[in-house]
Amino acid sequence: MSTADASPKFRLLGGRIPYVEGPLKVTGRAEYTDDIKRPGMLYGGLLRSPWPHARLVSIDVSSARSLPGVYAVLTGEKYPTPFGVLPITHDETAIAVGKARYIGDIIAAVAATDERTAELAMAAIRVEVEPLPEYADPQTGLAPVTEPIHARGLAGTNIQKEVVQHFGDVDAAFAQASHTVRVRGTFAGVTHAFTEPMATIAESTPDGRLTVWSATQVPHYLHRALSEVLGIPMHRIRVIKPEVGGGFGGKSDPLPHEIACAALALETGRPVKIRFDREDVFLTNHGRHPTQNDVRIAADSEGHLSAYDIQAVLDGGAWSSFGTVTTYYNGVLAMGPYRVPNFRYRGRRVYTNKPPSGAMRAHGGTNIRYSVEVALDELAESIGLDPFVLRERNALPPNSTTVNQLRITSTSFRQCLDASRVRSGWADKFRRLPFGEGIGLGCGFYISGSNSPIHFTPKMPQCTVHLKVDMDGGIAVHSMQADIGQGSNTLLAAIVAEVLGVDLDRVHVVRVDSDISPVDIGSYSSRVTFMMGNAARRAAEELLATLLRAASELCGYPVDQLAVERERYVPRHRPEVAVSFMDALHKAMEKVGALTATGAYSSPPMGGTFKGARAGTAPAYSFAAYVAQVRVDAETGEYHVGTIWAAFDCGRPLNRLAVEGQIEGSIHMGLGQLMGETMSYRSTRLMNPSLLEYKIPAPQQMPRVECLLVGQDDPEGPFGAKEAGEGPLVATLPAVANALYDAIGVRFHELPITPDRVVRGIEQRRKEGRPWKGA
Amino acid sequence: MRSMSPPRPLRLTLNDRPVETSCPNERILLDLLREDLNLTGTKRGCDLGTCGCCTVWIDGRATLSCLTLARSTEGHSVTTIEGVSPATGLNPVQKAFVERGATQCGFCTPGFIMTATALLRDHPHPSRSEITEAIAGNLCRCTGYTKIIEAIESAASGDR
Amino acid sequence: MHLDPFELYRPSTVEEVVRLTRDLGAACDVLAGGTDLLPNYKMHINLKPNLVALEEVEELRSYTLERVGSMTRLADLDRDTDFARAYPGVAAAVHEVATPLVRERATVGGNLLVETRCFFFNQTFPWRQSLGFCLKADGDRCHVVPQKERCYATFSGDLAPALAAVDASVELAGPDGRRTIPVLDLYDPGGDGIRRHRLRPNEIVVAVSFPAASRGLPANYQKLRIRPTFDFPELGLAAAGLVESGTVRSLAIAAGGLETYPRRFDEVTRPLVGERLNETNRNAASEAIMRSVRPVHNTFLAPDYRRRMVGVYVRRALDRLANGPPGVPG
Ligand SMILES: Cc1cc2nc3c(=O)[nH]c(=O)nc-3n(C[C@H](O)[C@H](O)[C@H](O)COP(=O)(O)OP(=O)(O)OC[C@H]3O[C@@H](n4cnc5c(N)ncnc54)[C@H](O)[C@@H]3O)c2cc1C
Ligand code: SF4
Ligand code: FES
Ligand code: FES
Repeated sequence: MSTADASPKFRLLGGRIPYVEGPLKVTGRAEYTDDIKRPGMLYGGLLRSPWPHARLVSIDVSSARSLPGVYAVLTGEKYPTPFGVLPITHDETAIAVGKARYIGDIIAAVAATDERTAELAMAAIRVEVEPLPEYADPQTGLAPVTEPIHARGLAGTNIQKEVVQHFGDVDAAFAQASHTVRVRGTFAGVTHAFTEPMATIAESTPDGRLTVWSATQVPHYLHRALSEVLGIPMHRIRVIKPEVGGGFGGKSDPLPHEIACAALALETGRPVKIRFDREDVFLTNHGRHPTQNDVRIAADSEGHLSAYDIQAVLDGGAWSSFGTVTTYYNGVLAMGPYRVPNFRYRGRRVYTNKPPSGAMRAHGGTNIRYSVEVALDELAESIGLDPFVLRERNALPPNSTTVNQLRITSTSFRQCLDASRVRSGWADKFRRLPFGEGIGLGCGFYISGSNSPIHFTPKMPQCTVHLKVDMDGGIAVHSMQADIGQGSNTLLAAIVAEVLGVDLDRVHVVRVDSDISPVDIGSYSSRVTFMMGNAARRAAEELLATLLRAASELCGYPVDQLAVERERYVPRHRPEVAVSFMDALHKAMEKVGALTATGAYSSPPMGGTFKGARAGTAPAYSFAAYVAQVRVDAETGEYHVGTIWAAFDCGRPLNRLAVEGQIEGSIHMGLGQLMGETMSYRSTRLMNPSLLEYKIPAPQQMPRVECLLVGQDDPEGPFGAKEAGEGPLVATLPAVANALYDAIGVRFHELPITPDRVVRGIEQRRKEGRPWKGA
Repeated sequence: MRSMSPPRPLRLTLNDRPVETSCPNERILLDLLREDLNLTGTKRGCDLGTCGCCTVWIDGRATLSCLTLARSTEGHSVTTIEGVSPATGLNPVQKAFVERGATQCGFCTPGFIMTATALLRDHPHPSRSEITEAIAGNLCRCTGYTKIIEAIESAASGDR
Repeated sequence: MHLDPFELYRPSTVEEVVRLTRDLGAACDVLAGGTDLLPNYKMHINLKPNLVALEEVEELRSYTLERVGSMTRLADLDRDTDFARAYPGVAAAVHEVATPLVRERATVGGNLLVETRCFFFNQTFPWRQSLGFCLKADGDRCHVVPQKERCYATFSGDLAPALAAVDASVELAGPDGRRTIPVLDLYDPGGDGIRRHRLRPNEIVVAVSFPAASRGLPANYQKLRIRPTFDFPELGLAAAGLVESGTVRSLAIAAGGLETYPRRFDEVTRPLVGERLNETNRNAASEAIMRSVRPVHNTFLAPDYRRRMVGVYVRRALDRLANGPPGVPG
């Protein structure tokens, strides 16, 4: 089993492997949480705060409780233990305690025979409040305020987290620079808007156990949070993840409604289901932070970058969620794919009375990447360099370290640049297309699994995979990795089948169930392929070793002379005495019965020793160079992205179908943020909590996407693979923005770039008497 | 807010079989299917006509079960994803969706299958832009539509 | 989301409908395709205890090229190539309504009477409650133009301007019998904006009819919105007319998606009839129409931009009438 085979030949990996659960999904047979009904099930309702910020003086639930069909009404005091996805920032409660912190905050939970009765009960709850000052603008919260949203805000302000970092000497670098640029970006919040609204079912049984089915990306964090808040040991809680209809980060925090649902189940002794309406999904949010950033870049006359000086203010909304990580990421994820010797960053995340912000696809890397890549486009222009040349001059080489101690092993960034330049016909188009048409380059860099797992005690691997095979020859795979549509079950099955040499249909990935699935910390930070892939490979190799020993006994040839072929193990020079998989299996089972094997993955130690050094460290990084071509209607400001040449380095693509799917889907999502998606607020009030007014791009708006997978094997990735789930998003936005500049000569520093902004930009430029391409 | 009105009898043809059931006036077809008849293949993504996850056929027309009163189907025919799926195996559109990777999280998929199957029934050889227009009432957040359009094209050409 | 209980009637003739609605008085709504009414009902907006469904009324479902029954489904019009040849502007507007899935149930009558729209109105009950509601439903003030008299919700139907531009009329039936009025007379520019139409109590729309002169008349419809599907018009501009070798023989322009009611701009277009169309009078017309509209900020796109696009769309509409091949859907 050589892991460093120069040109491995795979039967499955590297091909186009249809998703294993595809047939269930196309027939409507895949089971999502809301498809499940339990005998005697009640329905939960959540009363949400109509106040942005208010002290809860009294909540009178007596008449609600006495309504026929109402089984329980809960308020916050019953389970006041705070929780949160990060152990250091537990500031959420299942139901508000003492204060309501945003319009939509949960202030009571009801269980009733049906949802309508639950609604009637909620209408009967009388809440008396004392309104508190409402904080909509994060800038206000930077200074001390009269009523901080949380007591844990920094020194009487609403600042939840401040990060200050300085490497090298940024001021000296700026003093010596021959060229500097500055971009101040403003980014509206955006949200995941997966199609499946959240849903949870909880059931407590007389044996003292609690079972929770939930649409979650991270069953393990939910498991922990349930235990902490409800005070039930983890071993008496069982978390099951049915099929999940998309997450994109929005189902990665343990969420209050999940815990409230379990609390209602405990209260009533009956199964309880809570399913969200679309408005609930918007109010739960945890989407991308509304952001203001200020990026200054210094370079010499040849375009060698010498310093980044970055500031960011993030609108955190009412809770912390992943916010501490987000605050770091908005600085440190600027540190690739280029070598930048001096770096300074100040990031502040501020609580506001809005739905909480959190992690969304390409978490923390999207907005900063936009500003940096747009700034580089400006820099290239001011130096008189082609944008590709500027990037090439600064590309981080393989096996290098950034100034903030991020360890870069594999990078095929140069190959990405070459591929997108050549395929897009860049040389004939850049600054040569007529007014209104343009082409632009944007590059990307993203973590392939966070090196620092969020879980705390005890120390344990980030991922474990168990295999079990019995006499029937079917291989059951257990792992708590969470397939939410990205195809991780398929990859898991394919890796096992590949290593063992068996057909894919022998392998069955068992639904995530904490009673049987070994811990994996779930689907976020683009960690699954890398970490689960390595764990699965190790488990399968352990099982293979057992099978080969048995085969060797049967055929009389030593293990090191056996080759793995389809469904059999073959002595190199005597194929006629090959041992079938089934024969080897049955031989191996003679003494021990069903075979089991286990594999785990922990990322190697890395990163510096300074405060916050672990933020942004990852066992590998993805790289991207995208070219977008656009056409603008200069009168209406409407624009269409015709093609995106998406050169991406995910190492070795293990399932091309899935990698392309992730790239295409990421581009669609990135275009949404660029073209029209916005969490639109008037003060703290969300104005568009609906899929009608939250403008996810339509199929007609989708460009042609050419996926150029040019990655070379990563030394530590499973079979050479790295992530492809989030990195493909980040390059999309700046590529299109830079193409718009090429088309009409207007820079956009505020997202989304709606047609009215385009028209205003064109008009502004005309007014200033600066014609572009003769128009 | 008031509670429910009494159930009234309802007769319709559901997935080619006559069905007699009952529901109150205010029952929405989507809820009748999912909650009362346990046909959970039809999904609820928004309840307001803005996602297409709940697409079914009414008298053969692909439309939204979340914006249809159950009682409006009295005497009519309703077809759901369960009704277009063969007892074993997959229909050609479903097969193409699987092979082309047109379903990721899958929550939008039953709706797309209903729309696409109706499209190909009426227009066996749609152009790419006809396909794009036809699916413009179904929202997908995962795929960027690319592989969905490819799958419908391939189902149409029979090249699989 | 749940509907509150209501009594449901499913009559099969227009006369029955009229009798029922007269008996029920103000306590009923008529239900056509339901694609506008049911979302509003789900959000508990202006509920009535009785619904009279029109879907089983044969007469309302029938259509010819002269007379389109109010229960004609938009998808059926959309599929009809004869209709597209006869009324290219209306066909274009039909095609732009909502989504293909919505159009399979949405009807012509429902489109004419679609509820007006506003950020503060098309929201769930708890959402509206958190702001103390507004004039148009359950409340006493307007959040867009702060005052307590008038609602500024936007008329967002696509068909009305396109129908108005070709002089279509609507046939109504009510307790006092039947009558026919020009499409735009359905709407009340002088009203308070809360009630969106001028139907007499318990009158329904039976059909839309087209004058012979409008058959085959070149016409187009342009719609402003963020996405080419789903979204309601933030401006819908319809133009119809004959421009023969540069000379205007007939011309009408109408717009929706801007104000509380759709409008026609005869005062601008009438003087152009008989004139040769040139850049100067084209731009002057577009400028005049643009100046006369007053969108407010209660939809996604900013009002100044929507207004500005009126100018662009009018110029484009006139250019297309002057240059475009007649009878091809715009
Ligand atoms: C996602 C979505 C997007 C949409 N986008 C658009 C859009 O882009 N453009 C657009 O114009 N509309 C849009 N709509 C609204 C609606 O679908 C259409 O306007 C449709 O044509 C309404 O017709 P209906 O038959 O469904 O009306 P219904 O909902 O049945 O009725 C609408 C109103 O008209 C009244 N009414 C209906 N028929 C009659 C009649 N014959 N006589 C008297 N009163 C009557 C009803 O009482 C009700 O008040 C959209 C809807 C949705 C859900
Ligand atoms: S314009 Fe004013 S009154 Fe009318 S719906 Fe909007 S907020 Fe209400
Ligand atoms: S659930 Fe019917 S369209 Fe979304
Ligand atoms: S596959 Fe997830 S929404 Fe379409």
